[in-house]
Amino acid sequence: MTNAWPNGRAFDFIGGTPGSALISQLTDQLKALGEQLETALAAAHDLAALEELRVRFLGRSGQVTAVRRGIGNLPAGERPEAGKTINEAVSALERSLAEREAELQGRALAAQLDVAIDVTFPAPPARSGSLHPLRRATEDACAYFERRGFAVVLGDEIETEYYNFDALNIPPDHPAREGLDSFYFPNGLLLRTHTSPMQIRTMQAHPPPIAIVVPGKSYRRDSMDARHSPMFHQIEGLMVAAGIHMGHLKGMLTGMCRAVFGPAQAVRFRPSFFPFTEPSAEVDTTCPGCAGSGALGDGANCKTCSGAGWIEIGGAGMVHPDVLRESGYDPDAVSGWAFGVGIERIAMVRQEVDDIRVLFENDPRVLEQLA
Amino acid sequence: MKLPLAWLRDYVDLESSSEELAQRFAMLGFPVEEIGHRPKLSGIVAGRLVTVEKHPNAGRLSICTVDVGAAQLLTVVTAATNVAAGQHVPVATLGAKLVGLDIALRTMRGIESQGMLVSANEIGFEEDWFEDGILQLDAEIELGTDVVSHYRLGDDVFDLEVTANRVDAMSVIGLARELAAALGKPLGELDLSYDYRHGADETGSALVEIESSDCRRFVAQRFSKLTVRTSPFWMRVRLALAGQRPINNLVDVSNFVMLETGQPLHFYDYERLAGGRLIVRDGRAGETIATLDGEVRKIQPLDLVIADESQAQCLAGLRGARSSEVTESTHELLLEAASFVGARIRRMSVAHGLPTDASSRHEKTIPLALGEVGAARAAHLLQAEGALPYRPIVVGAALEAPPAIAVTAAQVQALLGMRVSDNEIEAALKGLGFGVAREGRGFVATAPLWRGDVKIREDLIEEIGRIAGYERIAPEQPAVFEHTISSKKYNDERRVAHAFAATGYREAATFSLQSAQPRERYQTAGVELPGGVLEISNPLSEDHRYLRFSLLPGLLGLVTRYPSEMPLRLFEIGHIFFENAETAGAMESAAFETAMAAWLLAIPKRDEPDWRDTGFIEFKSDSLAVLRTIAGRSAEAVSGTQRELHPGKTATLLLDGVDAATIGAVDPRLLAAYGSDARVYAGFLRLHDLPGYRVPRYRAPSRYPAIERDLALVVAPEIPAIDIERAVRAGADGVIGDVRVFDEYRGPQVEAGKKSVAVRILLQRGDATLTDTEADAYVAAILSSLAERCGARLRE
Ligand SMILES: [Zn+2]
Repeated sequence: MTNAWPNGRAFDFIGGTPGSALISQLTDQLKALGEQLETALAAAHDLAALEELRVRFLGRSGQVTAVRRGIGNLPAGERPEAGKTINEAVSALERSLAEREAELQGRALAAQLDVAIDVTFPAPPARSGSLHPLRRATEDACAYFERRGFAVVLGDEIETEYYNFDALNIPPDHPAREGLDSFYFPNGLLLRTHTSPMQIRTMQAHPPPIAIVVPGKSYRRDSMDARHSPMFHQIEGLMVAAGIHMGHLKGMLTGMCRAVFGPAQAVRFRPSFFPFTEPSAEVDTTCPGCAGSGALGDGANCKTCSGAGWIEIGGAGMVHPDVLRESGYDPDAVSGWAFGVGIERIAMVRQEVDDIRVLFENDPRVLEQLA
Repeated sequence: MKLPLAWLRDYVDLESSSEELAQRFAMLGFPVEEIGHRPKLSGIVAGRLVTVEKHPNAGRLSICTVDVGAAQLLTVVTAATNVAAGQHVPVATLGAKLVGLDIALRTMRGIESQGMLVSANEIGFEEDWFEDGILQLDAEIELGTDVVSHYRLGDDVFDLEVTANRVDAMSVIGLARELAAALGKPLGELDLSYDYRHGADETGSALVEIESSDCRRFVAQRFSKLTVRTSPFWMRVRLALAGQRPINNLVDVSNFVMLETGQPLHFYDYERLAGGRLIVRDGRAGETIATLDGEVRKIQPLDLVIADESQAQCLAGLRGARSSEVTESTHELLLEAASFVGARIRRMSVAHGLPTDASSRHEKTIPLALGEVGAARAAHLLQAEGALPYRPIVVGAALEAPPAIAVTAAQVQALLGMRVSDNEIEAALKGLGFGVAREGRGFVATAPLWRGDVKIREDLIEEIGRIAGYERIAPEQPAVFEHTISSKKYNDERRVAHAFAATGYREAATFSLQSAQPRERYQTAGVELPGGVLEISNPLSEDHRYLRFSLLPGLLGLVTRYPSEMPLRLFEIGHIFFENAETAGAMESAAFETAMAAWLLAIPKRDEPDWRDTGFIEFKSDSLAVLRTIAGRSAEAVSGTQRELHPGKTATLLLDGVDAATIGAVDPRLLAAYGSDARVYAGFLRLHDLPGYRVPRYRAPSRYPAIERDLALVVAPEIPAIDIERAVRAGADGVIGDVRVFDEYRGPQVEAGKKSVAVRILLQRGDATLTDTEADAYVAAILSSLAERCGARLRE
């Protein structure tokens, strides 16, 4: 039950203490007011109605004021007693109002909690930009090397035969030199076939020790198909200092693969041949498509690695002494490694893109999907 | 190259599965692209036809009795017509499994056949590569021998890749040597034994003369008493497994020796050589050669030819001439086992469009020592075919002694980062045919004659590492060290890319190689090019003949390819290329390329008056936001010009008064050329000139209330908003919290020749509350500044 007079103390006092007839009358009036308010409060269901009651009972020209005016009729000696009684009654009325107000507010908030909307109602797309999958792959890979103190340098795409071939120990009679693999200009310059020219340019400009990665475009005379593109992107890596060995190369490539594919990646070297590294290796990493098992959950061969459990991501090796010498380094004092990995390969494997051309078509739906 | 395991097993014991072997080869540096599985065959034995008679009830069938080494002769019915008594043939006995059929007892026209005589396609070979009918086995085979295991018909065939430096491994023996070394097994030896007869005509230069130094060495050997015929079955099986079609015993020996030893051979019909000798010389202009493939080819001075005294008889390393082709009437033969300079053979092969199995080896320069090996192996095989070998003669360079290379286990560890013991080093090198001697703390190794690729210690260490296995290299993190190399370009590019992405632009990556179309469209549109377009001399296709001279064509291509009702925001970062008068003679790459960022907004057409372009304003808003992110401070847009952009709708964005970027509506003529009816805006910035990022500094915002006043002004239409804003600032310097022209109107509501603009001004003092009276005074000052500087007055 709602009791606007919770302890009833004022009435006990008023009713239990014999006073003059006027005081008694006053007390009755106040008690009646209290009962009226209680009835009115029970009927008030919003804050506006409460405010109306406040004005009616406690306002400047409200009912309590009318009662208070009656004090003037009392003998002087009883006025303080009467004033006290009225004040106590006012406090009780105010408390009563406040409690009802709190109750109504609580109900109103509870009512707010009671509503529900369809949260599955579709939201219009937010305006959002994105980086190209190739840049994301590049940045993820480069970020790892930056954390390990490597500089990231960029180079030009038109190169001289000297930087693209000669200085990299690729002799003039090498097949790559005879227009089979490279795009040439009439003046003898060519589009770089790899990012490796930046090895030479960087070493010639900076004494050892050095540690760089070079992301960038490269070009080869490959016809466009699902796996080849005459324009592609590579990341070159080069580290030369005293005491550098092939284990460091494996360590850094393992770290890079973990940064781009996930924490469980391993790296495998297979012997290979590149004129500018000795020894040379093909670099494989655990196939992220099947976690290296070669098989999918249903037992079918993994499509990403054709069941091998490994995917090839590039070539690497220890920088050939001739290349160090050509760059002004002393191969007896320093050693180093270099690698070149394909960015398209990384982006395609980790985003399950099965055709390299998708990366250059820039269909906005795909750009959004891969962002 | 194709490597039949059947052949490999002649030289090394194989116990592992094909998959394990493929893995082994991969880890040696010879990745197996494909494991070719042979059909599952069984129950085929060697038999001899004892009698062959016509089937009484069927003219096309024969009834054979066959001795398969058992107590009873078998009766077998066959439809083949090449059968005769005395032949040795494969017999599929009851229960045998062949390709696509199982052999069971069968009655054919009333005669019970206890098996089947076997032809090529039934054991998984090309039918027209072998006898038309029943296969003919070698007469030496013991009757009843299991044919499948004897000829290793069930062994898989690897297709594996050999790197360019390992021409010695483009052979069965070379790959067997690698595998034996890796497995620690003995390597079988090539049988090079034969007896040669001495003759009077064996002096070197009388037989072969080398005029060109591009022929390094020439081993020649004559053979007589030849009978050209079908090769023995075992040899034909080897060749077929390796993908070579068997032809006759001479051609087959030539192919067999090339595949087995890596030395290509060529045979001349000696009796058809004018003068009875060969000259290796440069081609002569005007010469032609009719090669074995039926083509008549023009010879160039580039060509190296092997000629007799009257004409070219062979394009060196590629293909021989019909005029000295070995035929069934050949009785005297001259063998060539030569080594040429590889680069020259490669150029010839490209020029003639003639890649052959021989040229694929010759163009990598055959090791000098292989010539004698190839000739001897051929002599051994030809002698078995009844030929009489003469003594071989050798012309050209002497064999070079390979360098002695010293190596220690410590050096191996320093380069590979893995420990390899002395014993392992010794075993690995010996297994690969190196001479190895202990010396001091390590070894001195001498490469075998066929390993010209091993020249320095690093080469040797690679050999040790390959055999030990790179899987033993443990990943290790190198120490981080200080250096001074700058990452500025990369960081700049990254800063720009991220700023665009954060502003709602999607990055595209279009091709830097283009067709002629962009240039032609610019020319059609009358839009100037930045300079001469760079053209590739040897393009692969017309689609990729030119280098892009601007990033805009690629992005415009996307606008037309992917039309949309939604705004399309794209950006690209990349190099553009062109030459001009300054760079025309330059030989340094940097002269021709510029790193750029371009961005683009495409929206559907809007209905608005000519003097208003809300798309431009949106684009400008984006562009300023991007620059703010890039530079850490705000740019100001002033009127500008730029080819590719609309001359009346182009703005230069200034940062501290310096050009930072240009933006504008794309030249409508260009849009028309691209067939786009969208509204397209584009911006460009050169990464080289990218403003640095300045960390923004704190300036305390005023704590006092601001008074906002809007003014409606009438002003000449050519007065730009920026002038009005500047005039406002000049009129009440120091108390302008903000000023912004926020509306513009032209039309009948304003007097002719004028426009109306609305300006919102925020007046605010940093040191006290501004009173209305003060504000009125400032507005009065602002109005007089506007009148003076812009000829503007309040609109009535
Ligand atoms: Zn996989």
